[in-house]
Amino acid sequence: MNRSENRGLWLLLGLLAVFSLSLFLIPAFVIRPFRHQSERALGVAIAVKRIAPALAVAALVGVLALGARLWRSSSRWLRSGIVTALLLSAASAVLVRQNYFEWMFNPITTPGFVSAGDAHLGDKEMVMAVQIGQEARAYPIVQMAYHHILNDTVGDVPIVVTY
Amino acid sequence: MWKRTARGRELHFYLAGINNQNFLMRDRETGSWWQQVTGRAIAGALAGSALELMPNDELTFGLWKSEASQGQGRFLVLAPVPGHDDKDYDKKWEEEVAKYPVPLTFPGQGLKDRDVILGVVMGGQARAFPLAKVREASPVEDKIGGVPVVLVTGPDGESVRVFRSQWNGQDIDLYRDTQNDEKSDGKGDGENNGQSAGQAPKWRLLDSLGNTWNFAGCATGGPAVGQCLEKINFLKDYWFDWKNYNPQTTVYTH
Repeated sequence: MNRSENRGLWLLLGLLAVFSLSLFLIPAFVIRPFRHQSERALGVAIAVKRIAPALAVAALVGVLALGARLWRSSSRWLRSGIVTALLLSAASAVLVRQNYFEWMFNPITTPGFVSAGDAHLGDKEMVMAVQIGQEARAYPIVQMAYHHILNDTVGDVPIVVTY
Repeated sequence: MWKRTARGRELHFYLAGINNQNFLMRDRETGSWWQQVTGRAIAGALAGSALELMPNDELTFGLWKSEASQGQGRFLVLAPVPGHDDKDYDKKWEEEVAKYPVPLTFPGQGLKDRDVILGVVMGGQARAFPLAKVREASPVEDKIGGVPVVLVTGPDGESVRVFRSQWNGQDIDLYRDTQNDEKSDGKGDGENNGQSAGQAPKWRLLDSLGNTWNFAGCATGGPAVGQCLEKINFLKDYWFDWKNYNPQTTVYTH
């Protein structure tokens, strides 16, 4: 391997690591709370999120291959660079598969219900109420404002309660 | 609240992101992205699909209970999810949120960005009713897209419903029976909790045809007795958010 070829591979390694990281960071930056999302930025963020799981794995494989290729000819100092690129790409491949919005707000997987008389809820608390046929439900807003989404079935009708 | 079916398929939604302080959700079945407030898919296999609105009420628990006690059927309340306590179910959360900057601002129509409005869309026309004004002047009568509507604050002074103020094809004027409900109205929204169950039946609206109406929109006396007004869906929302999704909206100003 000559020197200039090596330099090209190093550049590629660095670019792949940055690319991998941006797969996570671009949507995370665009879709952050209390900020404005323009339609275009949101479109880009969602597009990136959709392809990120596959691309992040591809980038990780690329970094692995390049790292293996460069390892033997590298000094200890350069090897730490390879390890860093690997760690970043691996972290990104994991992070793009995580839904951190669900970490924050904990989805309701199996909703529990109580009768009106058994509910520990003040009379002034607001509820979202729905009735379908003979089935009626009250969803306390104090809970919905935290979990935000609840998949339920009321009177055989599948509904999603959102707040 | 939406029916979670699209293109004949049952979907399960989960929280997936945020767009101008409005949540984005995805469905487990196709991974499509949906805007919670509009019920529309904005990306993915189901892009362009729209969920059907599930008519619902936002009521105080006291009022819901008192209506439930008069109704038939199975009435259930969502229980707190185990492992979550008052720290997560933070009642001050909305007040806290209201301190954050807004992602969008729409000055010029007399409302502040975080003013709470009730948004109604009828016949392609959108109108925002400031909640404070509805509470103060209930029942508020108006016409949207040629349809007569009435916004009513309930006996608890908090809950709001919107009805089409037409019966038998005739426009009707609704007003408060102040003599009858003065007790429940006595101290504004009052601190007297248990009022709803005991005094709700006294609260009623009158119309020019001699009918009396309850907060469910059903006639309790007069020629229309036993019949109900058509309930109209509305969205309780911050002004900036409503305006963002309904750019042509007008604002109720009477």
